[in-house]
Amino acid sequence: MAASSKKVLELFVSKIPWTVASKEMREYFTQFGPVKKCLVPFDKETGFNRGFCWVGFSTEEGLNNALQKDPHVLEGAKLQVQRNRRPFAGQRPNKNGDSD
Amino acid sequence: MAALLRSARLLKFSPSGLLQITGTKRNGPPLGRLYSGAVGGRRTGVCSRQISPVSANVSSRVWPYAAGCVRHYAVATEQKDEASAAVRSKQAQQFDWALTKLDSSVRRTGRITKTLLLRIFHDTCRAGYPSGNQALLLLRSCGSLLPEVPLEERTELAHRVWERLLELGAQYDVSHYNALLKVYLQNDFKFSPTDFLAKMEAANVHPNRVTYQRLIAAYCQNGDIEGASTILGFMKSKDLPITEAVFSSLVTGHARAGDMDSAANILPVMRGAGIEPSPDTYVSLLNAYAEKGDLANMKKTLEEAEGADCSMMDRDIMQLIFTLAKAGHQHLLPEMVERLRHERGYVPDAMNLCLSLITQGQEDTAFSILKTFPTLQSENNESSNLGNFFLRHCINVDTSLQKIVHYCKELQENNLHTAPLTFSLACALEAKKIGTSLELMKLFKEQNLPIRPHYFWPLLIQPAKENNVAGVVEVAKGMQDLGVSLDTETLSNYVLPVFPSIEEARKALMDAGISMDSEGFLCSEVRSLAGSNLAKLFTLLSDPSFPSLDLSTFRSSLITGFRKSTDVESMVKITVLLYRDERFSKGSYKPAEDTAYFLYNLIDDMSEGQLQAQQGKLRTFFNQLHAQNVTISLNIYRGIKNILESHEVPELIKDLIPLLDSKVSNGPSGAAPRFTGLEGKVLALENKLAEYKAENKPLGTILKQVIQTLAAEENLPRALELKQQHEEEMTAGGYATLISLCCRHKNVEEALNLKREMNRKDSSVALDASKYIALIKLLSVNDRVEEAVDILKEMKEKDVALIDLQVTSVFHMLNTVAATGGVAAVRRLQDTIFTLGLAKPTANLCSPVVTAYLESKDVPGALEAALECQKLYNQLPRIHDIIVALVEMGDTDLLQKAMDFVSQERGEMTMLYDLFFAFLQTGRYREARKIMETPGLRSKPGRLQWYADKCIFTKQMEPLEQMVEMTAKLFECDRDEMYTYILRLCKETNDWKKAEAIWTKMQEENVIPRERTLCLLADILRSNGQHVPFEVPETWYKQAPTTQQVKSPSTPPTAEGGADYQGRLLALCKKGKAKEALGILKEADKMGVAFNPSPYDQLIRALLSEGAIEDAFVVKGIAETRVPGFKLSDIASSLLIISYSKRGQAKDALEKLKSMLQVDHVPSNLAITRLVQALGNSGDVAGIQEVESLIKSLATTSSLSSMVFINNTALAHINNGDVDSAVELFDAMYTSPDNTNPSMSFVFRKVLESGNDKALDKLSIMAERLANHFACYRPASDLFLQLLEMDKVEDAKFMLARCNAVAEQKELLLSFVSQKAQSPGQIGKIRSLLSLIPDIAEKEVVNAYLIKCHVLDKDFTSAKALYEQMQKEGLAVDELSLKRLAGLYREARETVPFTEPPESFKFYADKLKERAAKGQAAEK
Repeated sequence: MAASSKKVLELFVSKIPWTVASKEMREYFTQFGPVKKCLVPFDKETGFNRGFCWVGFSTEEGLNNALQKDPHVLEGAKLQVQRNRRPFAGQRPNKNGDSD
Repeated sequence: MAALLRSARLLKFSPSGLLQITGTKRNGPPLGRLYSGAVGGRRTGVCSRQISPVSANVSSRVWPYAAGCVRHYAVATEQKDEASAAVRSKQAQQFDWALTKLDSSVRRTGRITKTLLLRIFHDTCRAGYPSGNQALLLLRSCGSLLPEVPLEERTELAHRVWERLLELGAQYDVSHYNALLKVYLQNDFKFSPTDFLAKMEAANVHPNRVTYQRLIAAYCQNGDIEGASTILGFMKSKDLPITEAVFSSLVTGHARAGDMDSAANILPVMRGAGIEPSPDTYVSLLNAYAEKGDLANMKKTLEEAEGADCSMMDRDIMQLIFTLAKAGHQHLLPEMVERLRHERGYVPDAMNLCLSLITQGQEDTAFSILKTFPTLQSENNESSNLGNFFLRHCINVDTSLQKIVHYCKELQENNLHTAPLTFSLACALEAKKIGTSLELMKLFKEQNLPIRPHYFWPLLIQPAKENNVAGVVEVAKGMQDLGVSLDTETLSNYVLPVFPSIEEARKALMDAGISMDSEGFLCSEVRSLAGSNLAKLFTLLSDPSFPSLDLSTFRSSLITGFRKSTDVESMVKITVLLYRDERFSKGSYKPAEDTAYFLYNLIDDMSEGQLQAQQGKLRTFFNQLHAQNVTISLNIYRGIKNILESHEVPELIKDLIPLLDSKVSNGPSGAAPRFTGLEGKVLALENKLAEYKAENKPLGTILKQVIQTLAAEENLPRALELKQQHEEEMTAGGYATLISLCCRHKNVEEALNLKREMNRKDSSVALDASKYIALIKLLSVNDRVEEAVDILKEMKEKDVALIDLQVTSVFHMLNTVAATGGVAAVRRLQDTIFTLGLAKPTANLCSPVVTAYLESKDVPGALEAALECQKLYNQLPRIHDIIVALVEMGDTDLLQKAMDFVSQERGEMTMLYDLFFAFLQTGRYREARKIMETPGLRSKPGRLQWYADKCIFTKQMEPLEQMVEMTAKLFECDRDEMYTYILRLCKETNDWKKAEAIWTKMQEENVIPRERTLCLLADILRSNGQHVPFEVPETWYKQAPTTQQVKSPSTPPTAEGGADYQGRLLALCKKGKAKEALGILKEADKMGVAFNPSPYDQLIRALLSEGAIEDAFVVKGIAETRVPGFKLSDIASSLLIISYSKRGQAKDALEKLKSMLQVDHVPSNLAITRLVQALGNSGDVAGIQEVESLIKSLATTSSLSSMVFINNTALAHINNGDVDSAVELFDAMYTSPDNTNPSMSFVFRKVLESGNDKALDKLSIMAERLANHFACYRPASDLFLQLLEMDKVEDAKFMLARCNAVAEQKELLLSFVSQKAQSPGQIGKIRSLLSLIPDIAEKEVVNAYLIKCHVLDKDFTSAKALYEQMQKEGLAVDELSLKRLAGLYREARETVPFTEPPESFKFYADKLKERAAKGQAAEK
């Protein structure tokens, strides 16, 4: 609710391979525009990523560039990329631990 | 037999191909098998081969619960007492859930994983006392369905299940012993058959045919022919049939005893006994040769089998491969692998073969099988990977790494897998195998694949959890050895937490030779300081030399630190630093915004208790921030304010306000509620009517009404008379009524006259479709087809549309014409209808022509007509009947033609089923069986059900039984369902002997019956006065309580053992006579009789269902003395909570809940709800919050609605006299952006019931405000409907006047109607609603509900009136309503004035749902 007035420039990316973490995702999406934040949640029981992540762009252009590309293939896996419906505020990032 | 012979000859004489149809070839030698001339004897039993992975295959019910997507058409159900219903349904639900889980696993993969099985086992144990079929399901799963588990472990597991469930009071019958035997056989477990029999005898369970068969198999597995013969002799003395399963075992027995000649000789012996060797027999013999490595004889036997029409399926060949591999004859494998035909379903079977081979140390053979897999082709060009399952299992069973690497290499080189090594590593990490993982990563390094820090996290989790320093250091060392530096994430999440301090961590890691990466440590240090020393942290951060570090890297640690710390000064310093210094804010966010958001997170993260306790600290914090000129935006302010309000610390808000950015506007402007009066349109109409009458004005309307009334009374002469008297006043409606009356009275001439007269008056007038159809029917059956055709043309000209239902009447019309008017007339009408496009050609509509031919015994004509329909309209009407007729006639050429055609048009599968049913129908079972053996054929549940229903309807046991037997190995066939068909017929014919035999067969086939199947079986047995040899699921007594009562002896036996006591006790419990049962228990206890835990629990539950808590505790006391460690089951505990709650002892209930959760028991949703309601009644807000947090902390996600808590918290406030808090609660909820518009009806109901006007006023003001200002209509609608519910129609009317938008909430209103239409006596409420808002939905829809209500109320008069009214208004009545009405007419012993829709209720309900869903989709 706090950030609802701001335009949300975020992607929800799923089907990400287990081999990537936030660093790799950030690196990959930077090709479309400056990435402001990237959150890859990890499972506290298994130690693997949960198979999805959020990527926030600094500019609308970056977001659109990323949305226009299809398919997104990273380390042999076809990523599913869609606009994030809800802003990070709803995700309560502090519950998922610190991210970079 | 004669028929069989004839058909065999017939088929033999047409070698070129009754069934040589395009497309069959891909399935290998197909239907040619049908022609073989030999006429075999029928098999006496069904038996499955030793490994039959899919036999437990049961599909979940197709019929979705009516409450599903579209509530409007929910089938009426009676509300039962919820407590006892909860008890009964819980076990059934659990069984269904477990069954579905296991079933979907078996269906998808042909196997079950150990994890899944164990989970279901633990759940079953935890839930209390397991039912018989739960036990059967679990036992049955401990055999070859677990290919990933070593054989010994499988048997151990089976024994664990057996013992544990026995302790928990499961009752074992012969089916359980048989299942255990099967598991022994599948697991090669060595046991003593005599001991086993002794055990059964001790448990007073009588062995049956299946038991003996399996014991013989057990002896034979050990090569003990003597033992087998003893049992065989025993079977003979008991006159039990010796089935081919026994012979197959004997083949194995002789072979294992080293006597191959005798083994081979069993086959002629069988034939001598009149039993043809089956594929199973050949498989036994082939396995015997395979064990010896005797390829020559294997080949010979395969040929023989082929010659005897028993060709081997892939699954059989796989068994031979397994045997060869186990016996060390690897060199013979290629011979067998070549024979695999890759039938449909090959992959799952082959996967299971691979898994079994790997488990048993034959991974090389497994790999060679893997290479035979078809490569998957994916359309989206995604690289497909073969062998994931293979690699995973190799890792899991610790296959040597060298081999795994070799497999990986080969997979990659052959382009079968893109990244096998990466996948293997994932598996090793998943299995948390440190050694294997590190070794694999070494290989990564060699191959220049990246190794990332998070690869090590799965390995760190376990040691980090256990605070195992050595373990953590070991992995950290491994990381370093692989050249991966410890990054911040790894350090602060997994490594540092196991050390007491950061210094000690540094030291320990240094000692282990791990070098320190400064940045990672810096960050970790910040995090660690944030949690321990804020002053020090500020010093560190504010140092100008400190590098840039984004707040998000330590935000959550900082929040935790702030929460714990009392050092407000440092908190302020740090906050201000973050607010100003850009080093802590990467990217484009301004540091101020980041910091404001941080404040929001800080508050959001604190619990209510913490907020209240730290009020003082936060106040100082806010004040000082303000002093430092820190500001926050309106959004953040609102967010924080909401949290503070909801956590009951509103005092802090005034300290927060100064922080608010000054340029902020005020709240939303108020708008006056719209006032729109509701006109009494209905009344006005009625007045007008009366006026007309009095003033003797134009009679048109009145006349029409009189005629309509006369028509309703079927008084044709008087109606015609009236028409003649007032001819000039006649309206079109009047004519229409008269015409339809004439049609009913079959008065052709008059009908035509009237029609002409009407046209003369106004040629543009059209009748409604149903009246046209009636007229057409009348003309056609009176040989005036051409005039009928003219009417059809008129319909087209006047654009009369036919809706679904009228299409059905067209069908009935055509059928009537077919029966009387002959082929030509039907054809003429049908062609006209289709050419004009009045109706779409459906199978139904096309069928009357075929019917006409069939009735005149012209089968070729019927076939021709059907084929023509297919060509013209893509429909094949009545093809089953045609094929049956052709088979009976023995007309091979025509049959061939029909089959060619069906196959070409509808596919081979459809053709095969058509032929299968035709053969069954005509008693040509051998041919039918051949069809079922077609490779690649799979189950079509809909078609099987169609034929089964047909058999049940016509009471044809033989074809039905044959079908069930023949489909035993059909892919994906739901066996329980199939046997249920037979049982249903047994019930119809009251044949208990057959029913009992079916139960034995189900055991033989390892089918686990569903509860409803067991209930059905028990019902048949009991109604014939038979003993029920198994534990009947709890539901039965509701269905047939009377028979039970008749049977129970009225004189209590004097001297009885524990078992008798127990039986009586349980019977009384089930009959709801808990007090009597308590008497029995006390009596038994006095005599020193102890039971197992189950009866105690049952009695406690029965008592609690009646609310008798004290008595329940007496029983619990007795149970505790008799059964050490006795605990209440989940169900009983839940009931106790409910009983306490109902009595208003909320505290006791809460205590019980807590103690339940402590021992890891899960309370039922109902128990939680009742408890929360009780707390709400007593105004205990804190108690509700406590329950909410307890429930939320449960690992399992509860399906409980959060509204239970919110509504009852509100009620608690209201009961405390604090209505404002309740209002605030709802305000916050409904205006929150996450608002999902949940219902608060419950609150309105309670408030209305208690007559608390003050609360009602405030709540209703709130509801109207939410509706008028925030466009949130749920509360207002809830209140409005609740008022109607309580029959406060006037209040509702005023409410509607004030808040008109409620009338637009059509969905809610309609769901109210639908809900009311579920139970009898509610029609008044629907009528009240309609009087206020007449247009909540289309008239048809509303009327459907009204009809349902009338039917429920058994109000025939009203229903009839409504139906006739609808007829007059030309409204369509949907088929479901017609079906309902028909029942009512019949009950009232009146003739049904329309054709009753032929299909089931379910069919039409589904149809409506489908339509509604489509309608919704279209709207979107």
